[in-house]
Amino acid sequence: MTSKVCVLGAGSTKYGKLNESIIEIALNAAKDAIESAGITPKEIQAGYISNVFGVADKQVHMAPVIMSNLGISHVPGLTIESACGSGSVMFREAFANVAAGFYDCVLALGVEKVTHTGTVHSTTLFSYCSDFFYEGGNGASFPGLFASMARAYMTTHKATEEDLAHVAVKNHENGMFNPKAHVHKKITVDDVLKSPVVASPLKLLDCCPFSDGASAVILCSEDFAKKSGRPYMEIIGSGRGASPAAVQGREDITTIPSTVAAARQAYKMAGVTAKDINFAEVHDCFTIAEIIDIEDLGFFPKGKAAHAVRDGATRLNGEIPINPSGGLKSKGHPIGATGVGQVVEVYEQFTGKAGQRTVPNAEIALTHNFGATGASAAVHIFKKVDRK
Amino acid sequence: MMSAENTREKFIEAANRKMILAHKCTKCGHLMLETVLFCEKCSASKFEHAELEGSGTVVTYTIQAVAPEGFEDAGSYAWVVFNVDNAKLRASGFLPGVKEPKDLPVGAKVRVTGFDPKHGLMLQKS
Repeated sequence: MTSKVCVLGAGSTKYGKLNESIIEIALNAAKDAIESAGITPKEIQAGYISNVFGVADKQVHMAPVIMSNLGISHVPGLTIESACGSGSVMFREAFANVAAGFYDCVLALGVEKVTHTGTVHSTTLFSYCSDFFYEGGNGASFPGLFASMARAYMTTHKATEEDLAHVAVKNHENGMFNPKAHVHKKITVDDVLKSPVVASPLKLLDCCPFSDGASAVILCSEDFAKKSGRPYMEIIGSGRGASPAAVQGREDITTIPSTVAAARQAYKMAGVTAKDINFAEVHDCFTIAEIIDIEDLGFFPKGKAAHAVRDGATRLNGEIPINPSGGLKSKGHPIGATGVGQVVEVYEQFTGKAGQRTVPNAEIALTHNFGATGASAAVHIFKKVDRK
Repeated sequence: MMSAENTREKFIEAANRKMILAHKCTKCGHLMLETVLFCEKCSASKFEHAELEGSGTVVTYTIQAVAPEGFEDAGSYAWVVFNVDNAKLRASGFLPGVKEPKDLPVGAKVRVTGFDPKHGLMLQKS
């Protein structure tokens, strides 16, 4: 029997091109989360850190460095890598350790810094997250791998490049309301369609940016949260899933098995269905990814999401708002931080800090984040706790 | 039990003979491309090499307009996923000279021409 686990505080740096070192970026998010929770670092019993390319800023084994800089060098830390899904996979481990009773209060922090390496080298670094012998080694970049999934989806379900463009337009629209988003730019379907091709059928505005940034949350037991007197939310569902590492190994290229498995577990644990979710933060590294995600998560039947997006069903005022933060596409994608950033968005939504991007009356929300083309994924479900 | 030693070298050697080297479970006959020590279907640990005809049908692909490092000089090319002929198996490779989607409809036939240390499994339209 596991115990209830809550999120007591949350903080993020701005996402984008940042000049600070990777450790400074991480510490800024940690400070925000610690202050948001109303605790001191001395109350943190363990640190969970997610990061992928620390080596690009000359720092791996990051957890003890962060703990030392927070003045709690005696606190054990763990650094976790799972490509673009690192943040949510790490969050799951932090959740599991609190749920199991090992700790009452932990820091879960994701961080990334890659923009200083330049676009071409960042693209190459990211390609190492693929099944490299078959994918990166044969000339496929990450946009290329998702482009192959887009072509398969468009062929199977008669979707169009214009359908995909609507995802980008909607997420940029939401990102305009997020002061910490990497890209603040309203775009049109025509802008997307006329942007340069990166890997056909995906164009520049179908792709998320390379971003630096960090996000952090404080996880704790229900007792700890109640005693704090601060606003908090409960983690009511948690699921993990896996898929064949290479796209070629999947029977159906228009679905991501790890998402389906993780969602099934999280819904079961939470005792809810997709219909009960008021909004979701999903992994939209490319526009096609969001289309596939929201079908795999059960919000739309297979082959129907592209049309639903075009009809406005996923906008802030739609039947199921998707990525109110702006998503990876607009908010940005510092890959080690992304999964934690999604949790920060839910926390801000539930605690009245989301401003104009607030989803009214939201009580239950879902986060979904995966690594590479979905080789690993995690889904979490959160419930707002009313302290009245 | 098969060892993971030299399996990629053997794959490359077969590709240079225009073949695809897969691993076939001796218990259930399941084919896998990856280096495997246990069958994903029946968990058996004995495999034999299965040399498959290096030809197939395009399932999906992309034309990389922005090439990653090492492919900048490759010209316009496609990364292709294809169903291997006469086998329940997919593979992927590098197909040079593809400029537009109309050059490579899904369902087109491709075949292996070799393995290039710089660009991987080389394909051409057939």
